[in-house]
Amino acid sequence: MTIYFKEKEIVTPGQLLSDEGQKPGEGTYAEGKNIFAAQTGLVVPGKTIISVIPIRGPYVPKPGDDIVGVVVDTRPGAVEVDIGHQNTATMKVSPRLRRPPADTKLGDVVIGKISYRGLKGLFLDEREGITKIRKGLLVTLTPTKIPRLIGRKGSMISVIKRETGCQLHVGRNGLIVVSGGSPSKELAAVSAIRLIEEGAHTSGLTDRVTEYLKKA
Amino acid sequence: MKEPVLIKPDGTRLDGRKPDELRPIKMEVGVLEKSDGSAYLEHGGTRVFAAVFGPKEMHPKHLALPSRAVLRLRYHMASFSVEDRKTLGMTRREIELSKVIREALESVIFLEEFPRSSIDVFAEIVQADGGTRCAAITASSLALADAGIPMLDLLPGVASGKIGGKVVLDLSELEDKYGEADMPVAISPRLDAALLFQLNGRLSLKEFDEAWELARQGCSKIYEMQRNALKNRYETYKPEEET
Repeated sequence: MTIYFKEKEIVTPGQLLSDEGQKPGEGTYAEGKNIFAAQTGLVVPGKTIISVIPIRGPYVPKPGDDIVGVVVDTRPGAVEVDIGHQNTATMKVSPRLRRPPADTKLGDVVIGKISYRGLKGLFLDEREGITKIRKGLLVTLTPTKIPRLIGRKGSMISVIKRETGCQLHVGRNGLIVVSGGSPSKELAAVSAIRLIEEGAHTSGLTDRVTEYLKKA
Repeated sequence: MKEPVLIKPDGTRLDGRKPDELRPIKMEVGVLEKSDGSAYLEHGGTRVFAAVFGPKEMHPKHLALPSRAVLRLRYHMASFSVEDRKTLGMTRREIELSKVIREALESVIFLEEFPRSSIDVFAEIVQADGGTRCAAITASSLALADAGIPMLDLLPGVASGKIGGKVVLDLSELEDKYGEADMPVAISPRLDAALLFQLNGRLSLKEFDEAWELARQGCSKIYEMQRNALKNRYETYKPEEET
């Protein structure tokens, strides 16, 4: 097997990653048996599939994604939520209710779940509904760095929750709501998120964040 | 102004370069905070900022395409980029160059991944010294890669041409003005294809082959610099020092 990239090397668009006919995963494309990188990022090599985790990039919605958004329109049959994507996400309101979920107003920050993305548009799960968040700090993070914020099996996020005592609502679309007991604790959690943003592509990040929060 | 001697007796050019030598190039990625992706390029005396916004909702909505994103590119020279002040706004030349640069970049971006949306690219020339369209391509493709937009390849651009009877690489403003031919090209090394190709002046077939080969080599050199610029942005990160 020929190796075309070093471990933890940052690859750039057009770089050859493999010539063994694996499946192209996210952030890559195939031409014949060759797989090339399509985005700047770190390679995840696999036996059957090769993908690139992009360092920066637009949010690509997938069904099942938890999102945080801002209500931009309420109509008798639907609520439109801005999730930082080119399309607003539509939340259909069930015909029995015939009105938006109780007390949803323009500008409200809500959490929901993506149910469909395709030719018809972008829709939120009707059964899950949307839940309004009443207080907290709304923070943005590059959508590609959200998995790093959550960490392996939620390790990173639980460190932040434990050390600051804050509650975090993390949206796959790159919006996060931090709400906690005191403003100083909330700000500590936000600076931890910023630390993850700067060092998302480096290793040993969880330890650095733990240390940082213990000092703060 | 008297016509300058473009090729000196010792075979070097006005600025002391060899015929197949590029001007000094400096690139930096992520220089503008408010855009989704950005790049700054110094190619000799030419300086360009490129910024990318999107993919975002297409406005006006009736121009959105159901199958792919619309790429919009603005190539613009600042009023202070040239010796005699350039008037504000888009000139005929700038509108045309915006179109050819856009078409070159359209063929390397996966536009089908973002239906009904638009990607806006702004290439602003802040100082012009020849080769601005090629510099705009190099900088715009870097900014697109910085924004994380999926692409087939990075796209470097460089001009070759003929001055004082000799085929040379990377013409400066004076060489372009007094030279015999100017051939700006953008070649993707990965696809091994020219995505922008223009030729002003006359070249014999033999001279053309020579100029093409020079441009190809120049593009691969710039391509490597582009890759390094992208990598350097993330490898300069150093963990906090222990106190």
